[in-house]
Amino acid sequence: MENNIYIAGVGGQGVVSLGQILATYGLEKGERVKFYKQVGMAQRGGPVHCEVRIGEVFGSRIPPLSADIIVVMELAEGLKTLEFVKPGGIAILNRRKIYPLNLMAYPERYPQEREIIHLFEEVRAKIIWIEAGKVAIEIGLPLAENIILLGAIANFLSLDKDVLLSILEKNVPGKLEKNVKALERGYQIVEGIKQDER
Amino acid sequence: MKKLLTGNEAIAEGVIESGVEVITGYPGTPSSEVILTLISLQNRIDSSIQHIEWSINEKVALEIAAGAAWVGKRAMVTMKMSGLNVAADSLASIAYSGCRGGLVIFVADDPGAHAGMVEQDSRHYAKLMIVPMLDLASQQECLDYVKLAFELSERIAGPIFLRSTTDISHLASDVETGEKLSFKNREAFLEKDITRYTKAASSWCISQHQDALLRLTKALEYVEKYISEYRIKVNEMFLNQVNKEGIIYTGAVEGNFKEVIKKYNLKISWLKIGLVHPLPEERIKKFLEKVDKVLILEELDPFVETEVRRIASLMKKPVDIWGKLNKDFLPVVGGYSFKHIKKALEVFMGKEFEPEQDSKIKEKAKELEVKRPTSFCVGCPHRGTYFALNKAIKNLKYKKDEIIITGDIGCTILGMNEPFESCWTEIAMGASIGLAQGFKHGGIDKPVIATIGDSTFFHAGIPPLINAIYQKVPLTIIILDNGWTAMTGFEENPGTLVFNNNQNTQRVDILEICRGCGVEELKVIDPYKPEEAIKAITKAIKYPGVSVVISRRECALQARRRKIQLPKYKVNLEKCTGCRICLNSLGCPAMVFHPKEGRRGPYMEITVDCFGCGLCKFSCPTGAIEVIEDGK
Repeated sequence: MENNIYIAGVGGQGVVSLGQILATYGLEKGERVKFYKQVGMAQRGGPVHCEVRIGEVFGSRIPPLSADIIVVMELAEGLKTLEFVKPGGIAILNRRKIYPLNLMAYPERYPQEREIIHLFEEVRAKIIWIEAGKVAIEIGLPLAENIILLGAIANFLSLDKDVLLSILEKNVPGKLEKNVKALERGYQIVEGIKQDER
Repeated sequence: MKKLLTGNEAIAEGVIESGVEVITGYPGTPSSEVILTLISLQNRIDSSIQHIEWSINEKVALEIAAGAAWVGKRAMVTMKMSGLNVAADSLASIAYSGCRGGLVIFVADDPGAHAGMVEQDSRHYAKLMIVPMLDLASQQECLDYVKLAFELSERIAGPIFLRSTTDISHLASDVETGEKLSFKNREAFLEKDITRYTKAASSWCISQHQDALLRLTKALEYVEKYISEYRIKVNEMFLNQVNKEGIIYTGAVEGNFKEVIKKYNLKISWLKIGLVHPLPEERIKKFLEKVDKVLILEELDPFVETEVRRIASLMKKPVDIWGKLNKDFLPVVGGYSFKHIKKALEVFMGKEFEPEQDSKIKEKAKELEVKRPTSFCVGCPHRGTYFALNKAIKNLKYKKDEIIITGDIGCTILGMNEPFESCWTEIAMGASIGLAQGFKHGGIDKPVIATIGDSTFFHAGIPPLINAIYQKVPLTIIILDNGWTAMTGFEENPGTLVFNNNQNTQRVDILEICRGCGVEELKVIDPYKPEEAIKAITKAIKYPGVSVVISRRECALQARRRKIQLPKYKVNLEKCTGCRICLNSLGCPAMVFHPKEGRRGPYMEITVDCFGCGLCKFSCPTGAIEVIEDGK
């Protein structure tokens, strides 16, 4: 078994905490784990990404063409993940654009959605759209975008939900109920997509 | 028990398991988390640690650790590669004298310069200083090798280098932890032996030199034995009978090398070198006997490769050696990714394992990519300082790029970025003040300004300040005092205010240091008050001698953590014209610009991230930015 999950976004979106939960999951399951997080000058609004590898893995970073799942929390940041997409692998795209300061006055300079999608199609990714921001607001926890995406990943990789819940319990005891809801919603969204395909 | 630990956290675990009593260091990416982890665990777990500190600089930190080891305790000192240059003077002498208790020097290099500094290969220091060096290849080794390093150090009675790189230190992996050792009852004493602990006679120096060399030999013997006795393998060989091709590797390339082997099911012999100084020459010879062709994989300089080539040249049998010294093959610069290792092995073995993705996709993606330049954090006091500095320069009728401003290490250097673009240079800790003096003596007639952070000033900024006063150099020094060593993870320094009634430390005030050094034109300003800041900096620049401005305000991230509340700001949409002067002059991440949409004009928004520095209010030409009175 080998699972490679690549998560990209910007500072403040919960990219690293999502990775941390997945890495902890791997450890709790008794698997070998590698967890890379981009550190340093990654403050709010700066690019952030992390990589989680679970199973028979050696290298600390995901090799090109090897990510089973790519999670794009901020659309333009997805452009940096293309070389890691495994042909036929899943790309979960969160419909969110965050403009850096120098682009705020020039939104037309932000890449077009269709250009980004086109590139993901070219590398033969299976594209899954999730409007995590919208769902998070519905749940009443706008910061829970990452947990909704965790639910989606859990469905695709058939992760043990009980173990995930126990990790959530330890990590976010304060808003546990809403986070559990977020996890479940993410899971169900993918379930719905799968059913539509059948 | 298995834990998910970064390399640096695993080293901290190793420190606890090895019964270390004294640990010192100076923060520096990627080495800081060893001490940060130990500090965070200090009151939560039972350990042998008696003293742990962030020292003023690496040289002092090393001297303290050495002192503890000389009286018989286990001690560790941590630093980044640049810090090793600072500590080197003392290390050369300490390495000659050796030690009694275990002394381990942890140094972290940064191939790929992720933290933005030189790509120094510290392995050369092992040779230079006559100190054995273990090179870390995995997070598990971080823990295991700390234990090994302390045993080794006490066995040979000399210090040991433990060298890591960013890829090892910052990545997390499953790590098997073990039992804690304790040496709490070790009695502290220093044997009075001037032939060993001073250098006042040439005969003593020569015999100390001889001893140091002898320790290298002992270290190698012990390491080769250790493999069989304790099962922690340091130098390891794998021979494959299918072909005559082999790899010699060391350090962080291990993960990607093993990944390539697994992914493409390669059959190849390999020799892993964990002790990079002294090299296991006999073992290398044995390996070269078995192969006809060998590829050396190591990041940065051809350190092992040069030695392997030397060893091979002494052998009767010809061996075809591949490495960085081959033209246009493996680069010296940058870290090695999976891609580098795969490509090198493909060329070496003469076959393609897997085609790469169409390069046009990456090119197209690169074209579309959104650049997110690093700026100061929301509420950062440095924003106010550089804002005022630029305004002062303008007030004095100088053009923006007419005045040289030297920068220094840490968050303060971000003043080189947009929108300020103030700093011109960055060398090393404290160097902004020395370099600026050179500009003056070299004939720069216009004012020269040096900027430096508080921790950097303590570290190495005081001697060049004294020099400037002594030599009467007309110079303005701006000390951006945010009270923390912020960039590397908010460590304390001598100027940090004591918040939690810590009775073990005493604050040292930069203002008093400057006064004591004889600075006559000296002023403390608040960077959140632009008017007075501009006035003070303007006056300082005009002063004909050494002038110092201390711009003092706590790091906003730390202030926020301490629940400091300031009045927040909002935009009055009636008055906002959407001119963007605030955004363009401050680059504050708490600001969002909304362009014109239909009949609605453009306007600014201040988000909930606002900390309340108030600079935007000052910058606004139409008075559209107002304080939210009730703090809500």
